[in-house]
Amino acid sequence: MTDAVVAIEGLSIDYVVGAGRFRAVSDVSLEVPRGHVVGIVGETGCGKSTLAQAIPRLLPEPPATIGGGRILFEGIDLVQVPRWKMPQIRGTGINMIFQEPLNSLNPAFRVYDQLAEAVHIRQVREMGRASVERPEPGPFDYSRRSNPTAADAWSGKVVPGGAVPEVVHRRQVDQQSGLSRADLRKEVLDYLRLVRINDPETILDLYPHELSGGMRQRIMIAMALSEKPSLLIADEPTSALDVTIQAQVLTLMKELIEEVNTSILFISHDLGVIAETADELGVMYAGKLVEFGPVAEVFESPRHPYTKALLRAAPTRYKTDGPLLSIAGNVPNLSHPPPGCRYHPRCPIARPLCRVEPGPPLLGVEGMSPSHRSACHFPAEVPQIP
Amino acid sequence: MSASPLVEATDVEKHFPLTRTATEFFGGHARRVIHAVDGVTLTILPGETLGLIGESGSGKTTLGWLVARLHEPTSGTLRFAGEDILGLRGTALRRWRQNVQVVFQDPVGSLDPRLKVWQIVGEPLRAQGELSKPEVRERVHEILPTVGLPPDCLDQFPHEFSGGGRQRLSLARALSVDPKLLILDEPTSALDVAVQAQILNRLVELQRERRFAYLLITHNVAAVRYVADRVAVMYLGRVVEVGSVHGVLERPIHPYTKALLAAVPVADAKRRRTRFRIGGDVPSLVDPPPGCRFAPRCPFVIDRCRVEYPALREIPGAPGQLVSCHRAEEVIDVAPASLLVTEGGPTPAAAPAV
Repeated sequence: MTDAVVAIEGLSIDYVVGAGRFRAVSDVSLEVPRGHVVGIVGETGCGKSTLAQAIPRLLPEPPATIGGGRILFEGIDLVQVPRWKMPQIRGTGINMIFQEPLNSLNPAFRVYDQLAEAVHIRQVREMGRASVERPEPGPFDYSRRSNPTAADAWSGKVVPGGAVPEVVHRRQVDQQSGLSRADLRKEVLDYLRLVRINDPETILDLYPHELSGGMRQRIMIAMALSEKPSLLIADEPTSALDVTIQAQVLTLMKELIEEVNTSILFISHDLGVIAETADELGVMYAGKLVEFGPVAEVFESPRHPYTKALLRAAPTRYKTDGPLLSIAGNVPNLSHPPPGCRYHPRCPIARPLCRVEPGPPLLGVEGMSPSHRSACHFPAEVPQIP
Repeated sequence: MSASPLVEATDVEKHFPLTRTATEFFGGHARRVIHAVDGVTLTILPGETLGLIGESGSGKTTLGWLVARLHEPTSGTLRFAGEDILGLRGTALRRWRQNVQVVFQDPVGSLDPRLKVWQIVGEPLRAQGELSKPEVRERVHEILPTVGLPPDCLDQFPHEFSGGGRQRLSLARALSVDPKLLILDEPTSALDVAVQAQILNRLVELQRERRFAYLLITHNVAAVRYVADRVAVMYLGRVVEVGSVHGVLERPIHPYTKALLAAVPVADAKRRRTRFRIGGDVPSLVDPPPGCRFAPRCPFVIDRCRVEYPALREIPGAPGQLVSCHRAEEVIDVAPASLLVTEGGPTPAAAPAV
């Protein structure tokens, strides 16, 4: 288990809203092995997107604060990395595909400009030029609460020539490194062909609004993959797409995983999509990871009552076959989570112990493969739930 | 089947004109039109659920709005319980509206955030203008438990409810005037699986108790499977297949229906698909080509498909199931799964050379 691209250890994330504070992700430990696809499922509000955005430190802090734990990415603890250094890790290290492709592409730039930027960043980094350590943060440090205002400049608080980072113009880098525009264009075209876009020459000069949803998501995938990230976080990448387009995008992603050799953390609420793509599956409930294991095994023999209920709730029958099995009750309010195990108010096998004793950490389950773990006091009783 | 249909739509068309650019205008170009719904004939019987499935842009929502008379059709006739509803105007139209109510897709956008629950749910009642304020409140108080909401939330605001709760409010509003037909436009697509199951169960129970007819518009095949009695599949403004839910979902005939069903991801980790054989995007609805609209993506396409539109017809071997495909008899036995290549499972041999 040592060869993990990212290992999350006991990560907790709080949101501070007004005087209140609630824990959106509590004590989650998770590993994404190299070359694997790890799926995370859960209902709205269970913290899966918060977790996804916390890894590349994209959460707005505040209101979010990391309450504890470590995110080990290639041996670096991302929680300790100052925010201004994160852009060096994002892109070629960790990349993300978001749910809504229209919102994640810049409407004011042509497809070519957006893709070329990503390709260029990677090319420059490969030449060892990007990881220039800044001696200390300059005046315009976007990780600070507020950047200097015009008044500060007037009063002389911002001293030009002080700690201003060296600005390297793209053209300068190109000249020094011998990369030409033609090469860049050729590589961009290659990536468009990689994501199976017909007629990439025309597509390059279009704006995002001129493309269909499936096309836009393919451009997003091309952008993400062109930086050859070691970890790709896909947050509901196909939820906004139609099923036939979704099937195309999923098949494409699976083919590309092998070609580019990326590990993926795949967030979705669609069990079908996860069943199709993931190697390992984690199930989240109310901010906690309640079950984790090989995807076939979790689907076949879930060992947490919530996983079982979630699997049973998917409508697969006709109405003449009787009602669907829904989960009684609602997702708990995270500012006042129930005492004991968070699932006990809705759990059919809850016992007095579950009401007082918080759910155990993820523990191995007897008779299952060693990586299959569940956070239930009575995992052996789950198969008996009707 | 002797019951007279509740809704009869015959050759309904809805075209949305596009604005011409100045060059087009002065150049004398004809106005281009989006053929959102292009000659649809459908019936809905009292007390049954007709599921309308199709991808975005197939015109299913437009058709739903036409049936509710929220859009005026470009041509065609619409009858409700035998009466021509296209001629209704003014008070007669408002009276008629209590027969048909719509539940919209977006549970946030379709509820006014400044109105209280009783005002939202009672709005159709107040629009009918027969009840006083206390009577409306009392009626709302009775309706809320039928959709599984606590009756004492009359004075709350929509933001105090979860997504599922809001969709229940939307449903309560539609039920308040005791309609004969409910148009459910993607009622569960914004909801999680568990909540979706609760809402779908409630819909089916309500239909058993009160004999509503539903027009369920969705791209979610699983929801249609559970709620519908009959299914119509739409592609680019046209109905390509209609039949009983068992017929269409278990033995689809039209290649598009097969593709749609094959594309739905199955929550079964043992049958993983590796390849999907339907390429391309849904083409533009602006001045669509003659012939079958699925022809550019269809794996079974022949020359005839590109020039002649196949009319809906019944074919031997599938009684009661109407399909619009020239090669229906030949492709009837092609399994949807053969449009995929699966990992692990029995790999279907090369594409059946039909």
